Amino acid sequence: MLRRIVPALLTLALAATACTSEPATPDPAPNPSKDGVLRVLAGSELQDMAPVLAEAKKVTGVSVEFTWTGSLDGADTVAAGQADAKYDAVWFPSNRYLRLDTAAKGKLLSETPVMTTPVAVGVRSGMLSELGWGDGSQVTWGQLGDAAAAGKLSYGMADPSRSNSGFSALVALASAFSGAGSALSDADVSKAAPSLQRFFSGQRLTSGSSGWLAEAYQKPGQNKVGALVNYESVLLSMNRTLPEADRLTVIRPVDGVISADYPLSLLASAGQPAQDSFQRLAKYLTTAETQQKISAATLRRPVTPNVTPAAGVPTDLRRELPFPGSRAVADGLLSTYQNDLRRPSRTVYVLDTSGSMKGPRLEALKTAMTRLTGLQDPRGVRRFREREEVTLIEFASKVKSERTYTVPDKAPAAELARIESDVRAMQANEGTAVYSSLREAYELLTRQQAAAGDDRFTSIVLMTDGESNEGMKEAEFRGWFGGLTERQRAVPVFPIQFGDAAKAQLQGIAELTGGKLFDGTGSLDGAFEEIRGYQ
Amino acid sequence: MRRVIGVLVAVGLLCGVGYVVFLNSNGGADPKRVQVLIGSEKAEFFDDPAVAAEFKANGLDVRPQTIGSWSMASADLKDVDLAFPSSRGPAEEIAKSKGITAEPVRPFYSPLVVIAHKAVADVLQSNGLAEHAETNPWKLRMGPYLDAVKNNRKWSDLKNTAGHADLSGEIYLTTTDPRTSSSGALHLAAVSYLANGERVVADDAAVAGVAPLLKKLTDKQGDQKTSSDGPFSDFKSGVGNPLVLVYESQVASLKAHGIPMGDLVVLYPDTTVWSDHTAVGLTPEGRKMAELLRDSPKLRALEAQHGFRPTADQAAFAKALEGREGPTFAADLTVAQIKQAQVAAVPMLARLVEAAKGK
Repeated sequence: MLRRIVPALLTLALAATACTSEPATPDPAPNPSKDGVLRVLAGSELQDMAPVLAEAKKVTGVSVEFTWTGSLDGADTVAAGQADAKYDAVWFPSNRYLRLDTAAKGKLLSETPVMTTPVAVGVRSGMLSELGWGDGSQVTWGQLGDAAAAGKLSYGMADPSRSNSGFSALVALASAFSGAGSALSDADVSKAAPSLQRFFSGQRLTSGSSGWLAEAYQKPGQNKVGALVNYESVLLSMNRTLPEADRLTVIRPVDGVISADYPLSLLASAGQPAQDSFQRLAKYLTTAETQQKISAATLRRPVTPNVTPAAGVPTDLRRELPFPGSRAVADGLLSTYQNDLRRPSRTVYVLDTSGSMKGPRLEALKTAMTRLTGLQDPRGVRRFREREEVTLIEFASKVKSERTYTVPDKAPAAELARIESDVRAMQANEGTAVYSSLREAYELLTRQQAAAGDDRFTSIVLMTDGESNEGMKEAEFRGWFGGLTERQRAVPVFPIQFGDAAKAQLQGIAELTGGKLFDGTGSLDGAFEEIRGYQ
Repeated sequence: MRRVIGVLVAVGLLCGVGYVVFLNSNGGADPKRVQVLIGSEKAEFFDDPAVAAEFKANGLDVRPQTIGSWSMASADLKDVDLAFPSSRGPAEEIAKSKGITAEPVRPFYSPLVVIAHKAVADVLQSNGLAEHAETNPWKLRMGPYLDAVKNNRKWSDLKNTAGHADLSGEIYLTTTDPRTSSSGALHLAAVSYLANGERVVADDAAVAGVAPLLKKLTDKQGDQKTSSDGPFSDFKSGVGNPLVLVYESQVASLKAHGIPMGDLVVLYPDTTVWSDHTAVGLTPEGRKMAELLRDSPKLRALEAQHGFRPTADQAAFAKALEGREGPTFAADLTVAQIKQAQVAAVPMLARLVEAAKGK
C-alpha cells in the first residue's frame, strides 16, 4: 500500500536534475516533519472526520494537522511545488483533477482510498410528489434539467472551478446530456451545451465551498432553494439536524454518478517520520473496525468488503461515469461553464479608497482587482466572466464614483482592459462611510435589475480598511435593510477585512445579508479570488 | 516508460527528499539485515508478522521498501540486497545492468483477472462475452470483448441488461494507469499480444498495428488511477465501473483470510498475463532470501495465504482457499485452459504504453 522512498534512489542524479537548475527555489529547505504529526492539506469536508481522527491519535500516536483548501486549488498548490515543504500529505475528496497534471501527479508517492460517496442531488422531500418523481429512486439528470428549465426546481451548487463536488456534478451532467458512452471529449461538451444551459438556469446559489451552501439552504427567506448538489454523505448528514419541513430526499440520478474516494495521499517530499506516520494512519483507517466507525460518523461508504455501510446509506448500484482523461477537456468544460453555460452574474464592488488606504494598501487593492481582469486563467477561477456585469463603487466620506462594465460574450479583452485602467486610476483620500455606500450599492442594484429585467447571480463585495465613521450609522442601516423587498434582501454582501477594519461591523453585515466574511489581511489577492466562487 | 518514470522519480521524488537520512546497517548483528525493494502489491505479505518471523528464524532481518515495479530497474541499487519487482521485465533489466547471469528466481506469480458482480457476469455470459459451467471458474472471452471495444458496443446493445442501473454506456475494463502501475501495463501487453495475432509485439509494424486498439481502450476510461489499490477499493465500496482488472492475489488473499466479498465473481480472461514476481539477489543475503521465498514450505504457505501462487508448490494456492466461502478460483490455470500471453520486452512495452496514452 505504501511506497516508501528507496534510500538508494536519493543519491541518484541529484546534483544534475531539476533541483539545482531551478533558481526560484534555491536550497530545498529541509522538510521539518515531526514524529507523530502528519501535516495535511485537505478539503474542508473532512472536518467530519474529527472524532475518528481523535481516536486514531490515541491508537497510532499520529495527530493530523489540517490546512483547508478546495480540491482544485489544492491540486494547483501541489503542482506548483508549494505543498512540498509545508505539508506531508494531501487529502481531498478525489485526486482526479490533480492526476491530470503530470507535475502534480509526480509529487504523490502513495495513495490510500479511505471511503467513498457519490455526488448527488438533495431535493426538498415535500417537492417530490409535485414534481412527479415518486420516491426519487428513478430520477434522471434530464428530469432534473427539465424541472430547472421550467422554473420548478431551484438549487445551489458549489463552484466547479474550485470544488470537487461541483466539478463532478458538471462532468456527470455533461456525460448524461451528451449521451457519451465513455470518457468525455470536447465534442461531447459542445453537444451537451444546450441542455447544460437549461439545467443551470435553475442554479440560484453558488459558493466556493459546500459548507456555506448547507448554511444558506437553511436560512429562512433568502434565496430559498429547492435542492442542493452535494455529496450524498453531506446531504444525508444534513438530514440528521434539519427540521422536518426542510429534509432532503437524496437523488442519485439513474443515468450515472461520479463518486469521491477520499485518497489519503503521501507527498513524495515528506520526511521519514511523516512517512511512518502516514503508514500507521493509513493502516488504522482501513481496518474493519475503523471503517465501521467512519461510515457511522460520516455516512460515507466503507472501502473494505467486510464492513456494511451505515444504516440509511443506499446500497443499490449506479453507473459510474468516467472522468475526462485530459486536462484540456477538463479545463475546456470548466471554462465553458463559467463563460457560456451558467447564469451570468451582476457583481458590485464597494471599494474603500479613504485616506488611510494611501500607499501600499491602495497598491495591494489595485493589484488584487487587476488580477480579476487578466486573461491567463484556464479554468476560470478569477477573471470577470464573459456576460458578467461588474460595477465598481469607489467610496470614502461618500460615494466618489460608480462605473458599470459588461464583459461581452465574445472578445472580452477590451472591456477587461477598461476595468483595469480605471482600477489603476483610483486615488485615496477622505473618511470612511461604509453603510451609506452599501445602501447606494443596493439602490444601484435595484435600478439595474429594473432596467435590465433579468435574473442574474447578484452579490456585493465590500472592501474596507477601517471603521465606518461618516454617513449612515449601523443601526440606521439595519432598519433601512429591514424595509427592503425580499428580492433586494436576497443580495448577499461579502465583506473583506483589510488593514484596521472593524471586524465586528463587517461580520454583522455578512450575517445580516446572508454573505460571508473574508480575511484579506494575509492576502488581499487571495480574498478577492476566493469570493469569485460565490459570485 | 522507464524514461517517463525516471523523470517522475528524478523531479518528483528526489528534489524534496534529498535530505532524508538513510540509516544503513553495516551488518555485524545477527540476524543479518536484508534491504529489499518490493512492488506495492506485496506490501501486505511483507507486513505479515509471520513472514518476518520466518525470515528471522533463518537469520534474516528483512527490511522491505515499496516502490513501483517499473521504477526499480532505473533505481540506484547500491545497498539493496534483493530487488523483487512484480514482473519479469524489470527483473531482467536489473540482472542485466548488474551483470548477473544466474537465472532470476520466481518464487510466486499471480494472473491478472477481472472482477464483476454475479449479475453482471451473468449478463456477459448470456451475450457470449463470458463463459461459465458448473463449478468451473468463470472466463472472460477476450475475442468478443475486444470486438466490443473496437465497435464501441454499449451495455444497452446487450440483452438481459434491463433493471441494472449500473450497466449503461460503453463496455470496457477499468485498469490502472500503465505509466505508473504494472497491472495497467501488463494488460496492454496481453491485449497487444492478442491483437497481433497471438504473437508478441516485437517491431515497429506490430506496434503500429495494435496502437489504435490500445489507444481506444485507454481513451474510453478517461482518468485512470495510479495503483491497483484504487479501482479495487472502488469496487469493494460499491462504486466504479462494473468490470475491473485486478491481480488475482488481491481477491484470493481476502478469500484465504475468510473475508466475505458478497457476490463478487472472478473472471479469468481466456488469454491473460501472469504477474511473475521475480526476485533478483544482488548480494549473498539477497540470494539466500530469494531461495527461501521459493523453497521454504512455511513461506510458500504464507505466500498462498496472501493470494499468490507459489511456483514450486502448485497445490499450495488451492489449499490456502480450501473450505473458504467466496468466489471460485482456478485451482490450476493450465487445467482451466487459461492461456498466457507473452509479455513484450521492456523497451517495446514502453512503446505500447506511449501508444495507449499518447495524445
